[in-house]
Amino acid sequence: MRLRTSRRKFLQSASAALVGLSIKGDRTITGSFVNDSFQVGHELRDRANFPQPKQVVKRAVVIVGGGIAGLSSAWRLHKKGFSDFVLLEMNDQAGGNSRWGENEITAYPWAAHYVPVPGSKAVYVRELFEELGVLKNGQWEERYLCFSPQERLFLYGKWQDGIEPAIGLTAADRDQFRRLEDHLQAFRATGKFTVPMEIGLSASTADLDRVSFADWLRSQQMDSRILNWYMNYCCRDDYGATTSNTSAWAGIQYFASREPEEKGPLTWPEGNGWIVRRLLERVGSFVHTNRMVHRISQRGKRFSVLSGDTEYQAEFVIFTAPTFLAPYLVEGMAPLHDFEYSPWLTANLTLEHFPDSYGTDPTWDNVFMESPTLGYVDATHQSLRSHVDRTVWTFYWALANGSPSENRQLLLNKDWNYWKEAILHDLERVHPDIRKSVSRLDIMRMGHAMARPKVGAIFSDERRNLAKSQGRILFANSDLSGFSIFEEAQYRGVYAADRVLRQVAGPLGGRHER
Amino acid sequence: MGILLFITVLLIAACGLIYELIAGTLASYLLGDSVLQFSTIIGCYLFAMGIGSALSRYIDRGLAYRFVWIELLLGVIGGFSSALLFLAFAYTQGFQLLMYALVVVIGVLVGLEIPLLMRIVRNRYHFRDVVAHVLTFDYLGALGVSLLFPILLVPYLGLVCSAMLFGIINVAVALWSTFLFANLIASVRTLRFLCFVVLCGLGIGLAQAKRITIAAEDNIYADEIIFARDTRYQHIVLTRFKDDIRLFLSSHLQFSSRDEYRYHEALIHPGLSAVPTPRHVLVLGGGDGLAVREILKYPQIESITLVDLDPEMTHLFSTHPMLTALNQKSFSSPKVHIINADAFPWVDSNTDSFDFIVIDFPDPTNYSLGKLYTTAFYKAAARHLSAQGLMVVQSTSPMFARDSYWCIAETLKQAGLQTYPYHVYVPSFGEWGFVIAAYREYQPPTSLPKGLRFVSVEGLPALFQFPPDMSPLHMPPNRLNDQVLVRAYDQDWKDISH
Repeated sequence: MRLRTSRRKFLQSASAALVGLSIKGDRTITGSFVNDSFQVGHELRDRANFPQPKQVVKRAVVIVGGGIAGLSSAWRLHKKGFSDFVLLEMNDQAGGNSRWGENEITAYPWAAHYVPVPGSKAVYVRELFEELGVLKNGQWEERYLCFSPQERLFLYGKWQDGIEPAIGLTAADRDQFRRLEDHLQAFRATGKFTVPMEIGLSASTADLDRVSFADWLRSQQMDSRILNWYMNYCCRDDYGATTSNTSAWAGIQYFASREPEEKGPLTWPEGNGWIVRRLLERVGSFVHTNRMVHRISQRGKRFSVLSGDTEYQAEFVIFTAPTFLAPYLVEGMAPLHDFEYSPWLTANLTLEHFPDSYGTDPTWDNVFMESPTLGYVDATHQSLRSHVDRTVWTFYWALANGSPSENRQLLLNKDWNYWKEAILHDLERVHPDIRKSVSRLDIMRMGHAMARPKVGAIFSDERRNLAKSQGRILFANSDLSGFSIFEEAQYRGVYAADRVLRQVAGPLGGRHER
Repeated sequence: MGILLFITVLLIAACGLIYELIAGTLASYLLGDSVLQFSTIIGCYLFAMGIGSALSRYIDRGLAYRFVWIELLLGVIGGFSSALLFLAFAYTQGFQLLMYALVVVIGVLVGLEIPLLMRIVRNRYHFRDVVAHVLTFDYLGALGVSLLFPILLVPYLGLVCSAMLFGIINVAVALWSTFLFANLIASVRTLRFLCFVVLCGLGIGLAQAKRITIAAEDNIYADEIIFARDTRYQHIVLTRFKDDIRLFLSSHLQFSSRDEYRYHEALIHPGLSAVPTPRHVLVLGGGDGLAVREILKYPQIESITLVDLDPEMTHLFSTHPMLTALNQKSFSSPKVHIINADAFPWVDSNTDSFDFIVIDFPDPTNYSLGKLYTTAFYKAAARHLSAQGLMVVQSTSPMFARDSYWCIAETLKQAGLQTYPYHVYVPSFGEWGFVIAAYREYQPPTSLPKGLRFVSVEGLPALFQFPPDMSPLHMPPNRLNDQVLVRAYDQDWKDISH
């Protein structure tokens, strides 16, 4: 047998050589969909039959959801010496949008992959980063700041440094970029666009929430194709939506809430999964995975939280799962109307070697102009090694064009091969030889990846009431800010924990300190 | 007998074509312009074959005897043609003349072969069968060898060996023909003896083919390449010109054996001699063992840990006789521990402390190497310094890359170290710079190991003086998130070359 295989192999390569073909065929690419959670989501929606509780666990606080908000609540409670709580996570891995993966080459993100250097108002983020050694004596740890070279944009058949288009601009384009920057500087100076957003939020900016960002740009006579591409890219990147589906308030927030010349961002090979790991080192013992909550009901002063065959009885519930799920879980809760979410897919590609890249140095974030996708991020970019041959790229694609529900159907209905081909075709425009490098391509589909700050979302009464609710069930997902970013999730998680602590320290104080 | 006869045809056709291919390839390789070379060689060769065919009519008697002689001659001339041409190119002015002469002679002989053979066998078969079979096998042989030549012969045997091998086949055909046509030849024994002699000659030639190639290439390249290898990490090339051995890593000169003592004495002794009681030394980079050679001049040193990325590099400098003569077999010392690892992760994870740390990396020509010149790296490396410890850093040229040099010095300073910059003149490099860095104050040493050729106690203070054209510049430090050094280095060299 061995002889026959080797002979066949020999003949194959010999005949290939004879007809003048070198043996350079594309690699076989393996992979699959991973971390799918459509199934459980649909069970909830369709109110499938869940088992009757067989055991009762009593805790003062139950945290529902183990993303950044939930873990931050846990971090805060734990740090304040409070330990009578449990965190229930639906998936087999905590982290939510900051989940990560790891293979023999490197750790890599499944979604959120960086945190901008936090400004002075993001006090909880700064506190966390000081605790994690990211911020030391007012200095950001060098090895957690994104290494140089950081970003590049592919346009007109070549790469440029940075993502804001800088080549091929007409005088009119430049003028519009300059005018926009003046506007944003003025908005920044008002102090009403902050991270976290709740601190600066002011009714005086509510008008901006009544128009789309696209319409606002038009009203300011900013019709440059290149400027609009860039604004669209930014909205797709942070909100998963185009400028016409984004409130002008949110579009402006993207730029006006941060200092323009900050050095950063902060990033790690596994993206924000690094932060999740550090949080789990601290509060992992409170976290229970594979525990989907299917019912939350109030019985007098206590909540009954059902998960699998366990009933958790608690005085407080911190609900950090996406808020749109709440009406399906919380008994008696009215349906919600103002919450919309963007569907996404991310893919992690294992590369056996770096592909040709038109002679430029690889960077961390790589974006292609005129592509519907958001490009890719290189997980080994933050490696300290000076020699890296194999790597992992995380490819990002917010399905921003068209309606979210149709795109969710598309995500569900098309098979792995369809998305694999779509992703490779997109990459081929910048790396023609990409198929020779990729050996594995795993895809994660997220139907409700992030909150979409559509027109009216920021100042929606529904959103603001839930965010301010004073009851014993507290909502803390980042979607209560109108959009999903790390700082908002962390802020809401910590804020909810603080309010719980204030109440238990009152009439119930001491009883739950163990 | 039929099939044997036709295999003979196949073999002689293959031999005939191979000499032509070898001549064409050699000429293209040595003279360039492959279109011209192949066209003229094929033209001459076919024309000479025509002459041979025309001449065949003048041979009346002893056809088989003459056929064996032709094969013998082809074996000798063809077999040695490639070696002759190589040596002619290296040592004479008459390469082209010899080449065309050889092509013509071989062509004439090959032109004679087929007509003679057809006439020898004409009485055994119908004429139309003879023509059909002989020509079929003739062309088959040509196809076979023209495929073998680029796929197997050139890559695996080389031109000199291939010619010898086919010369042997020609002689084998001659020998075989003495059996095949034994009844047609009178002096079979003499011919067989001649065949045996020529076979021996070609056999010896085959065994010596490598030496012939080297002898020729020695004269073709100004500096003989004595070693070249693409490793996983870099392209290593060693050249020798008379007594000067040079090492190039990915085309960048690392040392010249004529003046490397200046570089390595200056790298090691100003720092190491100033450490009161050095016991443990760390070398990062330095896979050539030359820095280690200098460090071994301190008998009190107990251990030297060398971290170099490329195992092929340290293996080469542990085993190659010319190189171990240069580093005085420093890697064979029981004090030396070689670790093949990427330096930054190694420095990050290791916890040993050292009295002297040598950082001798290639210049920061790209972002990957640039990581090894950052505040983050120097902080991580300096954590390994003992209380008396000093660190020395190869810092490029303060003359040709002045911005880069002072950027490295500033980076060390920002890593919290005190810095003592100095420079030396290394003829093959020009002015070269180093920085001694430590958490403590540094005083130049008052005594040095015996037998140094360059560094002296009296000469030391001058090394720390920078004339105005190399004097300090204000530069930002190099950090992982900006890599200003890589940009500065690139600019420095651009400024010089324009």
